[in-house]
Amino acid sequence: MPYSVPDGFFDQLENRVMSEIQQETKPKKGRIVKMTFGALTAAAAAVALFFVVHKSLPENVTTDESFSLVELAYNDLSSEDQEYLLQVYEEDLFINEENNNEEE
Amino acid sequence: MTNDKDIIAAIRKDPEQGFRLLLRQYREPLYWHIRRLVVSHDDAEDATQEAFIRMFRNFDQYGEGNSFKAWLYRIATNEALRLLGRRQGCETLPLDEVTEGMMETACDAYFSDGDALVARLQRAILHLPAKQQLAFNLRYYDELSYAEIAAVSGSSEASAKTNYHLAKEKIIQYMNSNE
Repeated sequence: MPYSVPDGFFDQLENRVMSEIQQETKPKKGRIVKMTFGALTAAAAAVALFFVVHKSLPENVTTDESFSLVELAYNDLSSEDQEYLLQVYEEDLFINEENNNEEE
Repeated sequence: MTNDKDIIAAIRKDPEQGFRLLLRQYREPLYWHIRRLVVSHDDAEDATQEAFIRMFRNFDQYGEGNSFKAWLYRIATNEALRLLGRRQGCETLPLDEVTEGMMETACDAYFSDGDALVARLQRAILHLPAKQQLAFNLRYYDELSYAEIAAVSGSSEASAKTNYHLAKEKIIQYMNSNE
């Protein structure tokens, strides 16, 4: 061929194409919001489930049984929801205040 | 060397990683294919980049069972024709409307006629009508089958064969007449 290319041209070409492709395959912002909303909904449902299970327990259920039921419900959650639930629990002022009062 | 089936499977499994395999395998042959048509390095660079991006975007339109190589070369050829068309002020250029003058050897920084015989062969190719040029390049340089050449140029296999043989005859004539 009477033609030539600059040094390193093909590697640069590959990098440019890949970078363009990666831009195209990046999740769109709207999608992130949608996913976050979905995750938040799931987490909110998990928190609600926690309190519903806790409140709806018959009075004759012992504390040990109550905890095992909550534990069962907790284990049914996805790891993301579990993590979120723990985070909410740790940051929740009222729950922490209640615990602090009990400890006192 | 990765074969086309492996590349297709890799793209289906992980589009980005798979596409990198495709790039490794085809970046040079497709660049040179486009370069032979548009001649200038800068134009070939733009057209090659755009062709690969189109391949990525339209991968799901590749028909299973057809030649993957022909599909890639068709996109690359169309991109080269689009570029030649833009030079003429239109969106794209049908192969029949490409004239010799549009593909004349450009004297850019990346052209060398140091090897006189090779440069003369390239000039002989550039004197051919576009369909013959395409058939010759795809057969001689890229070793595509006539069926694949037909798929790239949108013609019949018989027509691809005829174009190649006519091109070969004309090149021999050109080379002999310039001795």
